[in-house]
Amino acid sequence: MDMEASQTNSENPNPNPNPNPSPTPIRNANSISSSSPVWPTIDGPLGLSEEDSMNYARRFYKFGFLLLPLLWAVNCFYFWPVLRHSRSFPRIYHYVVRSAIGFTVFTTLLSSWALTFSIGGTHLFGPVWDQLVMYNLADKLGLTNWS
Amino acid sequence: MAENQRPTNILDSLGEEIVRIVTPVSICMFMVVILVSVLSSDTSSSASFSTMATMAYTEASSDSSWDKFVGALLNSLVFVAVVTVVTFVLVLLFYLRCTRFLKFYMGFSSFLVLMFMGGQIAVFLLQDFSIPIDCVTFLVVLFNFAVVGVLAVFMSKMAIFVTQGYLVVIGMLVAYWFTLLPEWTTWALLVAMSLYDLAAVLLPVGPLRILVELAISRDEDIPALVYEARPVTHDDSGLNGRVVQRRVWRDRRNDISNSGDDSNISTNSVLVGNESENHRINSSLNVSESHEISDSNSNFGQHNVTSLVRAEEGQVVDINSELVVPLLQQRINVPCIAQEENVATVENLVLEGIGLASSGAIKLGLGDFIFYSVLVGRAAMYDFMTVYACYLAIVAGLGITLVLLAVYQKALPALPVSVLLGVLFYFLTRFLLEAFVVGCSLNLLMF
Repeated sequence: MDMEASQTNSENPNPNPNPNPSPTPIRNANSISSSSPVWPTIDGPLGLSEEDSMNYARRFYKFGFLLLPLLWAVNCFYFWPVLRHSRSFPRIYHYVVRSAIGFTVFTTLLSSWALTFSIGGTHLFGPVWDQLVMYNLADKLGLTNWS
Repeated sequence: MAENQRPTNILDSLGEEIVRIVTPVSICMFMVVILVSVLSSDTSSSASFSTMATMAYTEASSDSSWDKFVGALLNSLVFVAVVTVVTFVLVLLFYLRCTRFLKFYMGFSSFLVLMFMGGQIAVFLLQDFSIPIDCVTFLVVLFNFAVVGVLAVFMSKMAIFVTQGYLVVIGMLVAYWFTLLPEWTTWALLVAMSLYDLAAVLLPVGPLRILVELAISRDEDIPALVYEARPVTHDDSGLNGRVVQRRVWRDRRNDISNSGDDSNISTNSVLVGNESENHRINSSLNVSESHEISDSNSNFGQHNVTSLVRAEEGQVVDINSELVVPLLQQRINVPCIAQEENVATVENLVLEGIGLASSGAIKLGLGDFIFYSVLVGRAAMYDFMTVYACYLAIVAGLGITLVLLAVYQKALPALPVSVLLGVLFYFLTRFLLEAFVVGCSLNLLMF
């Protein structure tokens, strides 16, 4: 099934889509052109086929909403060829670009809060700052005693 | 008439593979050395650090050398015994095909390591550098990090780079934890674990050997955290329009003549799988067959072995299952001779069977990462001179192991050669070389 998956790509570099390949790999080397990618994942032939990519991209996108922007970032990283060649994989592109937008928005919000907190310090927040900062909190909760 | 395209250079492909396995090991060791030297022991000496590994004897700095030595031996014996028992339990579970439980356990332990140990080390770093992060941001970031790590370890088809990165991070965290053990115990533990590894992999009754033979006979992945290097591909391999299946073992059902390879199967071996060749051959077999096998592979996912369960404040850390995988694993290149095979392809396979024209992945168990890094981390606690010496010893040992692997085509334990060389070099450097170098430098003779 995996062998037929690549047929849906716009450009099939393999002139022999049958399951019995000839043992001449050299012939395939000449037939690929660089205009459109074969593989939607960054791992290339070691990665996923297109249907699997679709499932993965959708699942990563959905799970990212559970406060997991890093998952969105991994989504964009993993399907980087899709972002670059958006026309080849329209369905995957839909999810990946939304993951990218989600990641950027979340990171902006989080980093603005973190920067405000760290730069503001006590004169912006008052004594609450000392209670919120992590190292004090860790001391208070005794998290730093090695078990 | 068909001509096989040989790899450009045997040195290139072999060297590339070795580099791809030495690099993450080096990165892990480097990170542990940095952690050790940055978080240098203001954490009090071993007194408050009581774990399973120090169950038999807690080293106090006032004990005599003989007491410390005996205590360290006892500790390491206890530890090795626990590891053996846990490994046998793991083999039993694998035998009973409790794959879901094993997968869940693996994910759970990775989560514990990343969340709790990673969190603690991060808090230490925050304290040392007084970085003003608030708890909300810290928790969100840590949560993200841990969950994505669990997914990377769990899912068989995550981005290779992400998976490899997380495996190295997990190895680093566990290795740092191990460096907190008292000194004599650490060294005794390292030697004991390498001897255990030797026994468990080479003896016919060893659990690791049994595990690998089971995995081979079922053509499944071994349930352990295993670092898999990216396979070295030739120019042609990416152009077949097929997804390369990352199979563990070749399909041996159509074997005709592989008597030589059969006897070589055992647990620890460097796996040099040939994805592209695998696939070319397999595609001439049943498509459904390979598909089903790839399903079982993806179900199995990858593997787990380490888990650190933290008990409550009672300061007892329990290592649930130890690293089954102080192994280098070698994909056995069983030459598959099906009817429609071309002679040329078979010849290519036979070449790969020797491990020369290989285009596969080398697998190294996470236990190896951890113990190498523990050795280097403990050397870093003395001085950087010992770090350099031990690093060179470990890399040399790893190279020797890979060469032995290529020679014997057999599962080999990755710990003994490197760790024993490393320990030897540590003591030689500490007691002999240092006196020499310091003396020379002080007298302005050489520096």
